[in-house]
Amino acid sequence: MGPFELICPAGNPAALRAAVDAGADAVYLGFRDETNARNFPGLNFSRPELAEAIAYAHARSVQVFVAINTYPQAGNLAPWQRAVDDAARLKADAVILADLGLLAYAAKHHPDLRLHLSVQASAANAEAIRLYREAFGVRRVVLPRVLTVPEIARLNAEVDVETEVFVFGGLCPMAEGRCSLSSYATGLSPNKQGVCSPASHVRYEPRGEALASRLGGFTINVFGAGEPAGYPTLCKGRFVPGGGTSRDPAYLFEEPTSLNALALLPELKAAKVCALKIEGRQRGKAYIAAVVAAYRRALDAFAQGLPVPALDLEAMVEGGAQTTGAYTRAWR
Amino acid sequence: MRDPGFMVQDQAHETAPDPRARDVEVQLTRAGLGVARRLGDRAGGLLFDRLLRILEARHPRAFAALGELPDARLLIDPVDAPAALLLRVGPTLALRVCDRDAEAEATVRGPCARLLDLLEGRIDGDALFFRRELSIEGDTALILALRNTLDGEEMDLFGDVAAAAGPLRHALPVARRNAGRALDLLATARRLAPPPLRWGMAMLERRLTGLRQGA
Repeated sequence: MGPFELICPAGNPAALRAAVDAGADAVYLGFRDETNARNFPGLNFSRPELAEAIAYAHARSVQVFVAINTYPQAGNLAPWQRAVDDAARLKADAVILADLGLLAYAAKHHPDLRLHLSVQASAANAEAIRLYREAFGVRRVVLPRVLTVPEIARLNAEVDVETEVFVFGGLCPMAEGRCSLSSYATGLSPNKQGVCSPASHVRYEPRGEALASRLGGFTINVFGAGEPAGYPTLCKGRFVPGGGTSRDPAYLFEEPTSLNALALLPELKAAKVCALKIEGRQRGKAYIAAVVAAYRRALDAFAQGLPVPALDLEAMVEGGAQTTGAYTRAWR
Repeated sequence: MRDPGFMVQDQAHETAPDPRARDVEVQLTRAGLGVARRLGDRAGGLLFDRLLRILEARHPRAFAALGELPDARLLIDPVDAPAALLLRVGPTLALRVCDRDAEAEATVRGPCARLLDLLEGRIDGDALFFRRELSIEGDTALILALRNTLDGEEMDLFGDVAAAAGPLRHALPVARRNAGRALDLLATARRLAPPPLRWGMAMLERRLTGLRQGA
């Protein structure tokens, strides 16, 4: 196996240039519509912007992957199929898909297009991955963030498909592609419309020195004076369990925290992971530039057998705290 | 606090300001807001219209996107400046100086330096929000649309304005390179100046920025 590939996010053309210039091996991005899981206002790429982005990246030997990773809705397949067609036409290096029907469409109509399985497909066992490989020719699987490193190692021993894992950024504690918490609160789906906690349903309210975050009319967290804030997602909300009123609100699922698996590079290499992915298409180009550059330095040092430099990125992550997530989760 | 190491290392832009030059630009921005407020709606409005036209010529894609947003007002409140700004997006794009309690569909509050960094994509808005350096209220989708649109540009407020100033545009890189030395000279001059002159300089600075001493 060669060195790890570093797969980096971009929410706009400037962020793509930042990722490429900072040392990405590949950049993943989405179109400006509901066909991808970061369908937020002002974010993502038009077709001409994708063409420019691919030209910029390819000129620097960097690949571009297009995430078309939401689930098409009944009777409205066209936007998703058009997205696959356009990604192929514009010479994207791969498309990242989740839906079985869309995988079948891409495999049939674009046999030369490289297919990656999105984390949104939540393929977490060897049988599922083999099926995607045999049925559609999927070349790489982005593993859901629920597996420990030993589980990833066992899985890689059983399948003949490249695996990519998230190493840095926002963390879904739920099974990706199957979480309906945000849908319940807002009526809009992360999996169909690409909007987890859509901004149109988010409100922040100052309460003295405290900050309340509300989603779809529900208060989901109140951050005290000076307490680091997090994204307004239900999975990282603070609640009083059982409808009681006497106990202090607590994090029921996950605290606002960000994944950082830098310390696990040797284990991930031994587990035969092919590519490392940074989350954050919704983040600004300053974040992209800093995180990608830090990981580039770390991976270069690791590849040469040198000590891996610390990232020093706590100040820019959700909740100001980092975790190795499920990779080392003891309770599992 | 320690400035986190995630400012864009903008090596591609020769005119990227060093920290001392950046301090000067932040002071000028604050002073500019104070001056605009004193000029009143009419003259101040003409200035901001001109500024928008300059930026639009340099960043047509972002301005087209702002023009496509629904008609809405965004209050941009640099908490350490003498006045706030009201940005109207949608078909009739406009920028005006205003009081910080002006009515708007959404509000963004933060230190002037951070808002300027955000405008120019030198800092990540989510990180500022997580650290509570930036507070937002009202229509979150509007704020996000604006933030994402601006982040997609490579905006440089002073660089863009200087570029529209004809031959004077060559002065900005020189000024940015020499800002540190100029500030040192100014500090020395201030120390050596007789007390009445020193007091006069301090009073002028306070009047320009609209701030009281120590604020």
